[in-house]
Amino acid sequence: MSALEQAIEFANNTQPRCPCVLILDTSGSMAGNRIDALNAGLRTFRDELAADEVAGKRVEVAIVEFNTHARVVQDFVTSENFFPPTLTASGGTDMAGGVNKALDLLRERKRQYGANGILYYRPWAFLITDGEIVDSQQVAQRVSDEEKRGGVAFFAVGVEGAKEESLRSISTRPHKMLSGLKFNELFLWLTASLKSVSQTIPGDMVALNNPTGTWELV
Amino acid sequence: MSATTVDVDTNFISVPIPRPTGWQVAAAQKRGSRHEASGANCEDAYYVVQPVPGLLVIAIADGAGSAKFAEIGANVAVQHGAAHVCAGWELVGDTLGDSIILRLLEEAMSSARSAVQAEAATREVEFQELASTMILVIAHQEFVAAAQIGDGAVVVADAAGEVFSLTAPVQGEYFNETVFLTARNALQIMQLKLWRGEMSGVAAFSDGLQLLCLEWPECLAHASFFKPLLEFIRDTPEEARAASELAEFLHSERVGKLTDDDVTLVVATLRNDHEEG
Repeated sequence: MSALEQAIEFANNTQPRCPCVLILDTSGSMAGNRIDALNAGLRTFRDELAADEVAGKRVEVAIVEFNTHARVVQDFVTSENFFPPTLTASGGTDMAGGVNKALDLLRERKRQYGANGILYYRPWAFLITDGEIVDSQQVAQRVSDEEKRGGVAFFAVGVEGAKEESLRSISTRPHKMLSGLKFNELFLWLTASLKSVSQTIPGDMVALNNPTGTWELV
Repeated sequence: MSATTVDVDTNFISVPIPRPTGWQVAAAQKRGSRHEASGANCEDAYYVVQPVPGLLVIAIADGAGSAKFAEIGANVAVQHGAAHVCAGWELVGDTLGDSIILRLLEEAMSSARSAVQAEAATREVEFQELASTMILVIAHQEFVAAAQIGDGAVVVADAAGEVFSLTAPVQGEYFNETVFLTARNALQIMQLKLWRGEMSGVAAFSDGLQLLCLEWPECLAHASFFKPLLEFIRDTPEEARAASELAEFLHSERVGKLTDDDVTLVVATLRNDHEEG
Protein backbone atom coordinates (compact mmCIF):
# COMPACT_ATOMS: atom_id res chain seq x y z
CA MET A 1 0.00 0.00 0.00
CA SER A 2 1.45 3.39 -0.97
CA ALA A 3 1.86 6.16 1.58
CA LEU A 4 -0.95 8.05 -0.11
CA GLU A 5 -3.29 5.08 0.11
CA GLN A 6 -2.51 4.65 3.78
CA ALA A 7 -3.16 8.27 4.57
CA ILE A 8 -6.55 8.53 2.90
CA GLU A 9 -9.60 7.52 4.90
CA PHE A 10 -12.94 6.74 3.33
CA ALA A 11 -16.21 8.22 4.50
CA ASN A 12 -18.22 5.75 6.53
CA ASN A 13 -21.33 5.36 4.40
CA THR A 14 -23.56 2.31 4.25
CA GLN A 15 -23.64 0.79 0.77
CA PRO A 16 -26.77 1.74 -1.12
CA ARG A 17 -29.13 -1.20 -1.28
CA CYS A 18 -30.80 -2.75 -4.30
CA PRO A 19 -33.85 -4.68 -3.09
CA CYS A 20 -35.00 -7.53 -5.33
CA VAL A 21 -38.07 -9.59 -4.47
CA LEU A 22 -38.59 -12.90 -6.25
CA ILE A 23 -42.24 -13.89 -6.60
CA LEU A 24 -42.20 -17.63 -7.18
CA ASP A 25 -44.97 -19.95 -8.29
CA THR A 26 -44.86 -23.13 -6.18
CA SER A 27 -48.24 -24.50 -7.28
CA GLY A 28 -48.81 -28.20 -8.05
CA SER A 29 -47.87 -27.85 -11.70
CA MET A 30 -44.40 -26.72 -10.69
CA ALA A 31 -43.71 -30.02 -8.90
CA GLY A 32 -40.98 -32.44 -10.00
CA ASN A 33 -38.30 -31.31 -12.43
CA ARG A 34 -39.53 -27.75 -12.45
CA ILE A 35 -39.20 -27.04 -8.75
CA ASP A 36 -35.84 -28.90 -8.70
CA ALA A 37 -34.56 -26.70 -11.49
CA LEU A 38 -35.93 -23.58 -9.79
CA ASN A 39 -34.23 -24.50 -6.52
CA ALA A 40 -30.95 -25.11 -8.32
CA GLY A 41 -31.37 -21.73 -10.03
CA LEU A 42 -31.83 -20.03 -6.67
CA ARG A 43 -28.57 -21.49 -5.46
CA THR A 44 -26.82 -20.26 -8.60
CA PHE A 45 -28.34 -16.85 -7.99
CA ARG A 46 -27.04 -16.78 -4.46
CA ASP A 47 -23.54 -17.93 -5.39
CA GLU A 48 -23.16 -15.48 -8.25
CA LEU A 49 -24.29 -12.48 -6.23
CA ALA A 50 -22.27 -13.36 -3.15
CA ALA A 51 -19.14 -13.81 -5.27
CA ASP A 52 -19.32 -10.19 -6.39
CA GLU A 53 -17.64 -7.80 -3.94
CA VAL A 54 -19.92 -4.90 -4.59
CA ALA A 55 -23.20 -6.63 -5.52
CA GLY A 56 -22.86 -8.91 -2.51
CA LYS A 57 -23.21 -5.91 -0.23
CA ARG A 58 -25.76 -4.02 -2.27
CA VAL A 59 -28.33 -6.49 -3.58
CA GLU A 60 -30.92 -7.56 -1.04
CA VAL A 61 -33.06 -10.57 -1.82
CA ALA A 62 -36.53 -11.47 -0.60
CA ILE A 63 -38.69 -14.39 -1.69
CA VAL A 64 -42.45 -14.67 -1.79
CA GLU A 65 -43.87 -18.01 -2.85
CA PHE A 66 -47.46 -18.56 -3.90
CA ASN A 67 -49.49 -21.71 -4.34
CA THR A 68 -52.91 -22.01 -2.69
CA HIS A 69 -51.76 -19.13 -0.49
CA ALA A 70 -48.99 -16.59 -0.66
CA ARG A 71 -46.20 -16.63 1.91
CA VAL A 72 -43.02 -14.68 2.60
CA VAL A 73 -40.34 -17.35 2.58
CA GLN A 74 -37.41 -14.94 2.89
CA ASP A 75 -37.52 -11.37 4.10
CA PHE A 76 -34.94 -8.96 2.72
CA VAL A 77 -31.36 -9.91 3.40
CA THR A 78 -28.11 -8.91 1.69
CA SER A 79 -26.93 -11.51 -0.79
CA GLU A 80 -23.91 -12.24 1.38
CA ASN A 81 -26.33 -13.49 4.02
CA PHE A 82 -28.83 -15.12 1.68
CA PHE A 83 -29.11 -18.89 1.89
CA PRO A 84 -31.96 -19.97 -0.37
CA PRO A 85 -34.64 -22.22 1.08
CA THR A 86 -35.52 -25.43 -0.75
CA LEU A 87 -39.01 -24.89 -2.11
CA THR A 88 -41.64 -27.61 -2.63
CA ALA A 89 -44.60 -27.37 -4.97
CA SER A 90 -48.26 -28.29 -4.50
CA GLY A 91 -51.72 -26.72 -4.52
CA GLY A 92 -53.37 -23.86 -6.36
CA THR A 93 -52.10 -20.57 -7.77
CA ASP A 94 -52.75 -17.42 -5.79
CA MET A 95 -50.72 -15.17 -8.07
CA ALA A 96 -52.48 -11.98 -7.00
CA GLY A 97 -51.70 -12.82 -3.38
CA GLY A 98 -48.06 -13.36 -4.27
CA VAL A 99 -47.69 -10.10 -6.14
CA ASN A 100 -49.50 -8.13 -3.45
CA LYS A 101 -47.37 -9.59 -0.68
CA ALA A 102 -44.22 -8.81 -2.64
CA LEU A 103 -45.22 -5.18 -3.21
CA ASP A 104 -46.13 -4.86 0.49
CA LEU A 105 -42.69 -6.21 1.38
CA LEU A 106 -41.00 -3.67 -0.89
CA ARG A 107 -43.00 -0.81 0.53
CA GLU A 108 -42.02 -1.79 4.06
CA ARG A 109 -38.38 -2.16 3.07
CA LYS A 110 -38.26 1.34 1.60
CA ARG A 111 -39.81 2.67 4.75
CA GLN A 112 -37.05 0.99 6.76
CA TYR A 113 -34.39 2.47 4.47
CA GLY A 114 -35.85 5.92 4.93
CA ALA A 115 -36.03 5.53 8.71
CA ASN A 116 -32.36 4.50 8.82
CA GLY A 117 -30.99 6.96 6.28
CA ILE A 118 -29.99 4.17 3.89
CA LEU A 119 -29.65 5.01 0.19
CA TYR A 120 -31.16 2.62 -2.33
CA TYR A 121 -31.69 1.82 -5.97
CA ARG A 122 -35.07 1.33 -7.62
CA PRO A 123 -36.44 -2.00 -6.33
CA TRP A 124 -36.97 -5.00 -8.59
CA ALA A 125 -39.90 -7.40 -8.47
CA PHE A 126 -39.38 -10.58 -10.47
CA LEU A 127 -42.32 -12.93 -11.03
CA ILE A 128 -41.79 -16.50 -12.25
CA THR A 129 -44.92 -18.55 -12.91
CA ASP A 130 -46.32 -21.37 -15.01
CA GLY A 131 -49.93 -20.54 -14.27
CA GLU A 132 -52.58 -17.95 -14.80
CA ILE A 133 -54.33 -15.29 -12.83
CA VAL A 134 -58.11 -15.39 -12.75
CA ASP A 135 -58.94 -11.86 -11.72
CA SER A 136 -56.04 -9.63 -12.57
CA GLN A 137 -57.69 -6.24 -12.36
CA GLN A 138 -56.63 -5.23 -8.85
CA VAL A 139 -53.09 -6.48 -9.07
CA ALA A 140 -52.58 -5.15 -12.60
CA GLN A 141 -53.71 -1.74 -11.41
CA ARG A 142 -51.40 -1.85 -8.43
CA VAL A 143 -48.36 -2.84 -10.50
CA SER A 144 -49.16 -0.18 -13.06
CA ASP A 145 -49.58 2.50 -10.38
CA GLU A 146 -46.30 1.51 -8.73
CA GLU A 147 -44.47 1.59 -12.04
CA LYS A 148 -45.94 4.99 -12.87
CA ARG A 149 -44.83 6.36 -9.51
CA GLY A 150 -41.45 4.90 -10.20
CA GLY A 151 -41.78 2.75 -7.11
CA VAL A 152 -40.69 -0.53 -8.62
CA ALA A 153 -39.36 -2.19 -11.77
CA PHE A 154 -41.61 -5.20 -12.31
CA PHE A 155 -40.70 -8.10 -14.60
CA ALA A 156 -42.55 -11.31 -15.37
CA VAL A 157 -41.19 -14.57 -16.76
CA GLY A 158 -43.52 -17.38 -17.79
CA VAL A 159 -42.57 -21.04 -17.55
CA GLU A 160 -44.09 -23.42 -20.11
CA GLY A 161 -47.80 -23.64 -19.47
CA ALA A 162 -48.10 -20.07 -18.23
CA LYS A 163 -51.01 -18.09 -19.66
CA GLU A 164 -49.25 -15.28 -21.49
CA GLU A 165 -52.43 -13.24 -21.36
CA SER A 166 -52.13 -13.23 -17.57
CA LEU A 167 -48.53 -12.04 -17.70
CA ARG A 168 -49.42 -9.37 -20.22
CA SER A 169 -52.22 -8.09 -18.04
CA ILE A 170 -50.09 -7.76 -14.89
CA SER A 171 -46.77 -6.59 -16.24
CA THR A 172 -46.36 -3.11 -17.70
CA ARG A 173 -43.22 -4.28 -19.45
CA PRO A 174 -43.26 -7.02 -22.07
CA HIS A 175 -42.96 -10.38 -20.27
CA LYS A 176 -40.59 -13.13 -21.34
CA MET A 177 -41.03 -16.87 -21.64
CA LEU A 178 -38.51 -19.34 -20.27
CA SER A 179 -37.05 -21.87 -22.69
CA GLY A 180 -37.53 -25.29 -21.14
CA LEU A 181 -36.21 -25.33 -17.58
CA LYS A 182 -33.26 -23.01 -18.08
CA PHE A 183 -33.53 -21.54 -14.58
CA ASN A 184 -29.76 -21.49 -14.13
CA GLU A 185 -29.30 -19.34 -17.21
CA LEU A 186 -32.21 -17.17 -16.11
CA PHE A 187 -30.69 -16.52 -12.70
CA LEU A 188 -27.22 -15.89 -14.13
CA TRP A 189 -28.81 -13.31 -16.37
CA LEU A 190 -30.76 -11.78 -13.47
CA THR A 191 -27.54 -11.51 -11.47
CA ALA A 192 -25.82 -9.73 -14.33
CA SER A 193 -28.76 -7.38 -14.66
CA LEU A 194 -28.73 -6.60 -10.93
CA LYS A 195 -24.97 -6.04 -10.94
CA SER A 196 -25.34 -3.45 -13.64
CA VAL A 197 -28.05 -1.63 -11.72
CA SER A 198 -25.48 0.65 -10.12
CA GLN A 199 -24.78 2.28 -13.46
CA THR A 200 -26.34 5.71 -13.59
CA ILE A 201 -29.40 6.08 -15.74
CA PRO A 202 -32.08 8.69 -16.17
CA GLY A 203 -35.19 7.99 -14.12
CA ASP A 204 -37.40 6.95 -16.97
CA MET A 205 -35.24 4.36 -18.54
CA VAL A 206 -35.38 1.24 -16.39
CA ALA A 207 -35.41 -1.72 -18.68
CA LEU A 208 -33.94 -5.15 -18.96
CA ASN A 209 -31.34 -4.15 -21.48
CA ASN A 210 -29.14 -7.17 -21.26
CA PRO A 211 -29.63 -9.57 -24.12
CA THR A 212 -31.34 -12.59 -22.63
CA GLY A 213 -28.97 -15.08 -24.19
CA THR A 214 -29.97 -18.69 -24.01
CA TRP A 215 -32.80 -18.75 -21.50
CA GLU A 216 -35.50 -16.93 -23.39
CA LEU A 217 -37.92 -18.88 -25.54
CA VAL A 218 -38.00 -17.18 -28.90
CA MET B 1 12.77 33.16 4.94
CA SER B 2 14.28 36.08 3.05
CA ALA B 3 13.07 39.54 3.93
CA THR B 4 12.90 42.47 1.65
CA THR B 5 13.70 45.77 3.32
CA VAL B 6 12.31 48.92 1.85
CA ASP B 7 12.00 52.41 3.13
CA VAL B 8 8.43 52.73 4.12
CA ASP B 9 6.27 55.10 5.96
CA THR B 10 5.92 53.25 9.25
CA ASN B 11 2.25 54.08 9.26
CA PHE B 12 1.88 51.97 6.23
CA ILE B 13 3.00 48.36 6.46
CA SER B 14 2.70 46.41 3.28
CA VAL B 15 2.35 42.68 3.24
CA PRO B 16 3.72 40.81 0.26
CA ILE B 17 0.80 39.90 -1.97
CA PRO B 18 0.87 36.20 -2.72
CA ARG B 19 1.23 35.72 -6.43
CA PRO B 20 0.21 32.31 -7.61
CA THR B 21 3.00 30.60 -9.46
CA GLY B 22 0.43 28.25 -10.85
CA TRP B 23 -1.64 25.21 -10.08
CA GLN B 24 -0.23 21.80 -9.37
CA VAL B 25 -2.67 19.33 -10.83
CA ALA B 26 -2.95 15.58 -10.89
CA ALA B 27 -5.69 13.69 -12.66
CA ALA B 28 -6.39 9.98 -12.77
CA GLN B 29 -9.05 7.68 -14.02
CA LYS B 30 -10.01 4.08 -13.61
CA ARG B 31 -12.26 1.90 -15.70
CA GLY B 32 -14.76 0.27 -13.37
CA SER B 33 -14.73 -3.49 -12.81
CA ARG B 34 -18.22 -3.63 -14.26
CA HIS B 35 -17.02 -2.22 -17.60
CA GLU B 36 -13.89 -4.33 -17.44
CA ALA B 37 -16.00 -7.44 -17.08
CA SER B 38 -18.15 -6.59 -20.08
CA GLY B 39 -15.23 -5.37 -22.18
CA ALA B 40 -16.73 -1.92 -22.38
CA ASN B 41 -14.60 1.20 -22.35
CA CYS B 42 -14.42 3.62 -19.47
CA GLU B 43 -17.28 6.04 -19.98
CA ASP B 44 -15.88 8.84 -17.86
CA ALA B 45 -14.10 11.66 -19.67
CA TYR B 46 -12.14 14.58 -18.33
CA TYR B 47 -10.20 17.59 -19.54
CA VAL B 48 -7.83 19.78 -17.53
CA VAL B 49 -6.12 22.94 -18.78
CA GLN B 50 -4.38 26.04 -17.43
CA PRO B 51 -4.98 28.54 -20.23
CA VAL B 52 -3.25 31.40 -18.43
CA PRO B 53 -1.07 31.40 -15.29
CA GLY B 54 -3.21 31.08 -12.19
CA LEU B 55 -6.32 29.88 -14.02
CA LEU B 56 -7.37 26.24 -13.92
CA VAL B 57 -10.20 24.73 -15.93
CA ILE B 58 -11.49 21.24 -15.11
CA ALA B 59 -14.22 19.37 -16.97
CA ILE B 60 -15.50 15.91 -16.01
CA ALA B 61 -18.31 13.97 -17.68
CA ASP B 62 -19.70 10.53 -16.80
CA GLY B 63 -21.48 8.71 -19.62
CA ALA B 64 -24.93 7.36 -18.81
CA GLY B 65 -24.96 3.59 -18.39
CA SER B 66 -27.97 3.19 -20.60
CA ALA B 67 -26.66 5.34 -23.46
CA LYS B 68 -25.07 3.56 -26.39
CA PHE B 69 -22.65 6.34 -27.27
CA ALA B 70 -22.11 7.60 -23.75
CA GLU B 71 -18.32 7.59 -24.07
CA ILE B 72 -18.48 9.83 -27.13
CA GLY B 73 -21.00 12.17 -25.53
CA ALA B 74 -18.82 12.52 -22.43
CA ASN B 75 -15.72 13.33 -24.47
CA VAL B 76 -17.45 15.87 -26.70
CA ALA B 77 -18.95 17.54 -23.64
CA VAL B 78 -15.69 18.03 -21.73
CA GLN B 79 -13.71 19.19 -24.72
CA HIS B 80 -16.25 21.76 -25.80
CA GLY B 81 -17.04 22.95 -22.30
CA ALA B 82 -13.39 23.55 -21.43
CA ALA B 83 -12.65 25.13 -24.82
CA HIS B 84 -15.51 27.57 -24.41
CA VAL B 85 -14.25 28.68 -21.01
CA CYS B 86 -10.72 29.18 -22.31
CA ALA B 87 -11.88 31.15 -25.32
CA GLY B 88 -14.28 33.22 -23.25
CA TRP B 89 -11.78 34.00 -20.51
CA GLU B 90 -10.03 36.57 -22.63
CA LEU B 91 -13.26 38.54 -22.78
CA VAL B 92 -13.74 38.45 -19.02
CA GLY B 93 -11.02 41.02 -18.53
CA ASP B 94 -9.79 42.32 -15.20
CA THR B 95 -13.11 42.80 -13.48
CA LEU B 96 -13.73 39.13 -12.65
CA GLY B 97 -17.22 39.94 -11.40
CA ASP B 98 -19.44 37.11 -10.12
CA SER B 99 -22.10 37.48 -12.79
CA ILE B 100 -19.55 37.52 -15.61
CA ILE B 101 -17.85 34.36 -14.38
CA LEU B 102 -21.12 32.53 -13.84
CA ARG B 103 -22.45 33.58 -17.22
CA LEU B 104 -19.28 32.25 -18.84
CA LEU B 105 -19.84 28.91 -17.10
CA GLU B 106 -23.50 28.80 -18.10
CA GLU B 107 -22.62 29.50 -21.72
CA ALA B 108 -19.89 26.89 -21.66
CA MET B 109 -22.33 24.24 -20.42
CA SER B 110 -24.81 25.27 -23.06
CA SER B 111 -22.11 25.12 -25.69
CA ALA B 112 -21.11 21.66 -24.51
CA ARG B 113 -24.73 20.51 -24.71
CA SER B 114 -25.11 21.89 -28.23
CA ALA B 115 -21.91 20.20 -29.31
CA VAL B 116 -23.19 16.84 -28.05
CA GLN B 117 -26.47 17.46 -29.85
CA ALA B 118 -24.60 18.22 -33.07
CA GLU B 119 -22.53 15.07 -32.67
CA ALA B 120 -25.69 13.00 -32.28
CA ALA B 121 -27.11 14.57 -35.42
CA THR B 122 -23.93 13.83 -37.36
CA ARG B 123 -24.09 10.22 -36.29
CA GLU B 124 -27.83 10.11 -36.97
CA VAL B 125 -28.64 8.80 -33.51
CA GLU B 126 -30.90 10.00 -30.71
CA PHE B 127 -29.51 12.80 -28.57
CA GLN B 128 -30.12 10.63 -25.47
CA GLU B 129 -27.70 8.02 -26.76
CA LEU B 130 -24.86 10.43 -25.96
CA ALA B 131 -26.07 11.22 -22.44
CA SER B 132 -23.59 12.07 -19.72
CA THR B 133 -23.40 14.12 -16.55
CA MET B 134 -21.14 17.17 -16.60
CA ILE B 135 -19.01 19.14 -14.15
CA LEU B 136 -17.16 22.30 -15.19
CA VAL B 137 -14.84 24.16 -12.82
CA ILE B 138 -12.97 27.46 -13.12
CA ALA B 139 -10.44 27.82 -10.33
CA HIS B 140 -8.46 30.97 -9.69
CA GLN B 141 -6.51 32.49 -6.84
CA GLU B 142 -9.49 34.62 -5.79
CA PHE B 143 -12.42 32.30 -6.49
CA VAL B 144 -13.69 28.91 -7.54
CA ALA B 145 -16.75 28.61 -9.75
CA ALA B 146 -18.49 25.41 -10.77
CA ALA B 147 -21.39 24.35 -12.95
CA GLN B 148 -22.80 20.87 -12.54
CA ILE B 149 -25.50 18.73 -14.14
CA GLY B 150 -25.89 15.36 -12.49
CA ASP B 151 -23.79 13.63 -9.88
CA GLY B 152 -20.18 13.63 -8.74
CA ALA B 153 -19.07 16.81 -6.99
CA VAL B 154 -16.55 19.62 -6.53
CA VAL B 155 -14.75 20.11 -3.21
CA VAL B 156 -12.76 23.20 -2.21
CA ALA B 157 -10.04 23.71 0.42
CA ASP B 158 -9.69 27.17 1.88
CA ALA B 159 -6.46 28.84 2.94
CA ALA B 160 -6.60 27.12 6.32
CA GLY B 161 -6.94 23.75 4.59
CA GLU B 162 -10.56 23.23 5.62
CA VAL B 163 -12.57 21.40 2.98
CA PHE B 164 -16.18 21.80 1.92
CA SER B 165 -18.42 20.72 -0.96
CA LEU B 166 -19.08 23.41 -3.51
CA THR B 167 -21.58 21.29 -5.44
CA ALA B 168 -23.44 18.11 -4.53
CA PRO B 169 -24.58 15.04 -6.46
CA VAL B 170 -28.11 15.49 -7.81
CA GLN B 171 -30.28 12.67 -6.59
CA GLY B 172 -33.81 11.57 -6.78
CA GLU B 173 -35.26 8.78 -4.64
CA TYR B 174 -32.87 6.28 -6.17
CA PHE B 175 -29.13 6.33 -5.81
CA ASN B 176 -28.34 5.53 -9.42
CA GLU B 177 -30.75 7.90 -11.08
CA THR B 178 -29.66 11.42 -11.87
CA VAL B 179 -30.01 14.16 -14.46
CA PHE B 180 -28.02 14.28 -17.67
CA LEU B 181 -26.69 17.04 -19.90
CA THR B 182 -29.04 15.78 -22.60
CA ALA B 183 -32.17 16.26 -20.47
CA ARG B 184 -34.64 18.80 -21.77
CA ASN B 185 -34.40 20.95 -18.63
CA ALA B 186 -30.72 20.30 -17.91
CA LEU B 187 -29.59 23.93 -18.22
CA GLN B 188 -32.51 25.19 -16.12
CA ILE B 189 -31.77 22.95 -13.16
CA MET B 190 -27.98 23.09 -13.42
CA GLN B 191 -26.07 23.88 -10.19
CA LEU B 192 -24.09 27.12 -10.51
CA LYS B 193 -21.86 27.97 -7.57
CA LEU B 194 -19.15 30.52 -6.93
CA TRP B 195 -17.02 30.87 -3.84
CA ARG B 196 -14.71 33.80 -3.20
CA GLY B 197 -11.85 33.57 -0.82
CA GLU B 198 -8.26 32.58 -0.47
CA MET B 199 -8.08 28.97 -1.40
CA SER B 200 -5.46 26.30 -1.26
CA GLY B 201 -6.94 23.52 -3.34
CA VAL B 202 -9.79 22.04 -5.32
CA ALA B 203 -10.91 18.54 -6.24
CA ALA B 204 -13.51 17.29 -8.70
CA PHE B 205 -14.70 13.73 -9.19
CA SER B 206 -17.29 11.58 -10.91
CA ASP B 207 -19.92 9.60 -9.03
CA GLY B 208 -17.80 6.45 -8.77
CA LEU B 209 -16.00 8.07 -5.86
CA GLN B 210 -18.85 9.88 -4.18
CA LEU B 211 -19.68 7.18 -1.64
CA LEU B 212 -16.05 7.07 -0.53
CA CYS B 213 -15.31 10.77 -0.10
CA LEU B 214 -18.61 12.43 0.81
CA GLU B 215 -20.65 11.93 3.98
CA TRP B 216 -24.20 11.02 3.04
CA PRO B 217 -26.97 12.07 2.98
CA GLU B 218 -25.81 15.67 3.42
CA CYS B 219 -22.91 15.10 0.97
CA LEU B 220 -20.35 16.84 3.13
CA ALA B 221 -16.73 16.60 2.07
CA HIS B 222 -14.98 13.96 4.18
CA ALA B 223 -11.97 15.78 5.58
CA SER B 224 -9.83 12.68 6.17
CA PHE B 225 -10.16 11.84 2.51
CA PHE B 226 -9.34 15.21 1.00
CA LYS B 227 -6.76 16.63 3.38
CA PRO B 228 -4.15 13.89 2.85
CA LEU B 229 -4.90 13.97 -0.87
CA LEU B 230 -4.34 17.71 -1.17
CA GLU B 231 -1.26 17.53 1.02
CA PHE B 232 0.14 14.86 -1.23
CA ILE B 233 -0.40 16.93 -4.38
CA ARG B 234 1.14 19.97 -2.73
CA ASP B 235 4.20 17.97 -1.67
CA THR B 236 4.66 16.26 -5.04
CA PRO B 237 5.69 18.86 -7.61
CA GLU B 238 6.63 16.22 -10.19
CA GLU B 239 3.34 16.01 -12.00
CA ALA B 240 3.93 12.64 -13.62
CA ARG B 241 4.68 11.01 -10.29
CA ALA B 242 1.67 12.61 -8.65
CA ALA B 243 -0.61 11.40 -11.44
CA SER B 244 0.78 7.90 -11.32
CA GLU B 245 0.35 7.60 -7.56
CA LEU B 246 -3.14 8.96 -7.81
CA ALA B 247 -3.91 6.33 -10.44
CA GLU B 248 -2.45 3.66 -8.21
CA PHE B 249 -4.76 4.76 -5.43
CA LEU B 250 -7.83 4.59 -7.68
CA HIS B 251 -6.83 1.09 -8.76
CA SER B 252 -6.32 -0.08 -5.19
CA GLU B 253 -8.22 -2.99 -3.72
CA ARG B 254 -9.78 -0.76 -1.09
CA VAL B 255 -11.43 1.35 -3.77
CA GLY B 256 -12.42 -1.67 -5.86
CA LYS B 257 -14.21 -3.22 -2.91
CA LEU B 258 -16.56 -0.28 -2.61
CA THR B 259 -17.31 0.71 -6.17
CA ASP B 260 -17.51 -1.09 -9.50
CA ASP B 261 -18.07 2.14 -11.40
CA ASP B 262 -15.65 4.17 -13.55
CA VAL B 263 -13.82 6.69 -11.40
CA THR B 264 -12.32 10.05 -12.34
CA LEU B 265 -10.51 12.27 -9.85
CA VAL B 266 -8.79 15.61 -10.48
CA VAL B 267 -6.95 17.27 -7.59
CA ALA B 268 -5.16 20.62 -7.68
CA THR B 269 -3.35 22.83 -5.22
CA LEU B 270 -2.40 26.43 -5.61
CA ARG B 271 1.19 27.38 -5.07
CA ASN B 272 1.78 30.89 -3.79
CA ASP B 273 5.05 32.83 -3.75
CA HIS B 274 5.02 33.38 -0.04
CA GLU B 275 5.07 29.64 0.51
CA GLU B 276 8.56 29.46 -0.87
CA GLY B 277 11.00 29.12 2.01
